[in-house]
Amino acid sequence: MSLHPYFEIVVFVGVALIFPVMPLILAWMWRRFFQPPKPGAAKNATYECGMESLGEAQIQFRSQYYLYAIIFLIFDVEAVFLVPFAVAFTGLPVGAFLSILVFLLLLIEGLVWAWGKGCLNWAK
Amino acid sequence: MSYFDLLRLAWPEASIVLTALVVLAIGLTNRGTRPAITLLAMVGIALAIKNVLRLPHDAILFNGMLVISPLTSLFKIVSLALAFFTVALAQSESSLRHYAEYIAILLLACVGLMLLVGSEELLTIFIGLELLGLSLYVLTAFDKIDIYSAEAGLKYFLFGSTASAFTLFGISLVYGMAGSTSLAVLAQKLSVTNAQPLLAAGIVMTLIGFAFKIAAAPFHLWAPDVYQGAPIPSAAFIASGSKVASFVVLGKILLVGFDSARGSSDWHAMIAGWSPIISLLAAMSILLGNFVALAQTNVRRLLAYSAVAHGGYTLLGLLAGDRDGFSATLFYTTIYALTLLGAFGVIALVRRETGGDDLQNFAGLGQRSPLLAVCMSIFLLSLAGLPPLAGFFGKFYLFSSAFRAGANHGLLWLVALALFGSLISLYYYLIVLKVIFLDERSTTATAPAARPMLVEVATGVLAALVLLFGVDPSGLVARIVAALA
Repeated sequence: MSLHPYFEIVVFVGVALIFPVMPLILAWMWRRFFQPPKPGAAKNATYECGMESLGEAQIQFRSQYYLYAIIFLIFDVEAVFLVPFAVAFTGLPVGAFLSILVFLLLLIEGLVWAWGKGCLNWAK
Repeated sequence: MSYFDLLRLAWPEASIVLTALVVLAIGLTNRGTRPAITLLAMVGIALAIKNVLRLPHDAILFNGMLVISPLTSLFKIVSLALAFFTVALAQSESSLRHYAEYIAILLLACVGLMLLVGSEELLTIFIGLELLGLSLYVLTAFDKIDIYSAEAGLKYFLFGSTASAFTLFGISLVYGMAGSTSLAVLAQKLSVTNAQPLLAAGIVMTLIGFAFKIAAAPFHLWAPDVYQGAPIPSAAFIASGSKVASFVVLGKILLVGFDSARGSSDWHAMIAGWSPIISLLAAMSILLGNFVALAQTNVRRLLAYSAVAHGGYTLLGLLAGDRDGFSATLFYTTIYALTLLGAFGVIALVRRETGGDDLQNFAGLGQRSPLLAVCMSIFLLSLAGLPPLAGFFGKFYLFSSAFRAGANHGLLWLVALALFGSLISLYYYLIVLKVIFLDERSTTATAPAARPMLVEVATGVLAALVLLFGVDPSGLVARIVAALA
């Protein structure tokens, strides 16, 4: 008897569904049938790794942070292009080296500009 | 193909990028005064024009990613010239607080224009479209304190990014059908495949991004707010440069890449393809643009709705589809760009003196400064299409090429619609002129400050150009026709 080639995937999906759903069902049944209803301050508190939680979860945070996030993006993109360049470095002609230097120049100018404009100073 | 060849052929673009970087750097030092930055940018653009003139006659790099031909060189020069005039307008614009950054982004947008016109490959076209788009969103929202500028920037960004997403998806579908993004290969592959539903979806989606850029109805919703809310130089550049480059590249995509899926929009024999879709866009733009413009009381908003209508007229040349039609489209969009830049120059001067750009701010302009009023009437009458101005010849060329195209004058219905639209447009342009010349000067006008020379000179030169191309259009037309040969 030959099984359908996708049969293993169906089994896989079934297992993947059973594993998370079964504990949830068990926990629900345990709560439904065995748990004594005794709510208390400690019991209703949000679980935070054993620490007592401080203050509200919905707080205001300083939006000045977005400038750092944007400038970080410069280096993020830089890494994406530099890593493949570095891996293939030994096989590349001089022109490729020059063009990656041009790319770096563009990014450095961006950083220098942001620095000069005072974007790195923490706005109060 | 070595990197040095690439650098040599892309030198105009590279030199503009270098100029932008130098402008940014100078802006950080205390030597970065407005006149210095303006001069630097203008010299950079002039040098780039010289570099374009020194390019070889024909060259194709990487399957059409970078193409040098008489057509691309001509429209690179046009893009650079439009950027030059925009820099002139920006010099005295008081709402731009970070001037060096503004000019640098403007130059980057200009690189986007040059990439767009200088490419015959869908991915590079998309990159050009995005570089242009992202720069223009920033330029639109540049006046951070003005809520209208912020609103315009946000609307432009939201509409623009959605349209780009559609275009990118369309390009991916077309690539899936043809296996190549180069327009020439695309044309070859598509001519042997049957028109499948997937291909139709790909073509329609690709067109959405361009319909957005040329503000064709129903993708025009951003235009009125952007024209009215953006700083004046930004609005002028969006109305001129972005439109010219979009028409050049739209023409290339439709007439080269998708040529085999053309169909027909003749009224007696409609055949499925891009032609009926484009004709529908054109008809809607002409009707909606002209009728809504009638109700406007703000001159910039009025120009925006008239821009929608003009986008519709210009599409007629692409529908005609032959070399004559494409050259008529290119001629008309170039003339239109020059005219609109000039009109925005006048608006900038009026706004500077009266603090607004509503119709009543123009009252009494004829007495206050006759020369400016004459310039504005040249621009508006050229937009309306009266001889001997360039707009008349442009419209004549466009409509006659559409009239002759197809079997049995099939596009007659659109030509008639366009003529009807032009008739309506005459009315609202004349209302502006009536306010300028006949209405009494409003009392709100403040004492005339010293006029910025550069804007006045630029406006005068543009008016002279519009007059010149109207009296003798043969030079530019011959150039465009030769470039398309």
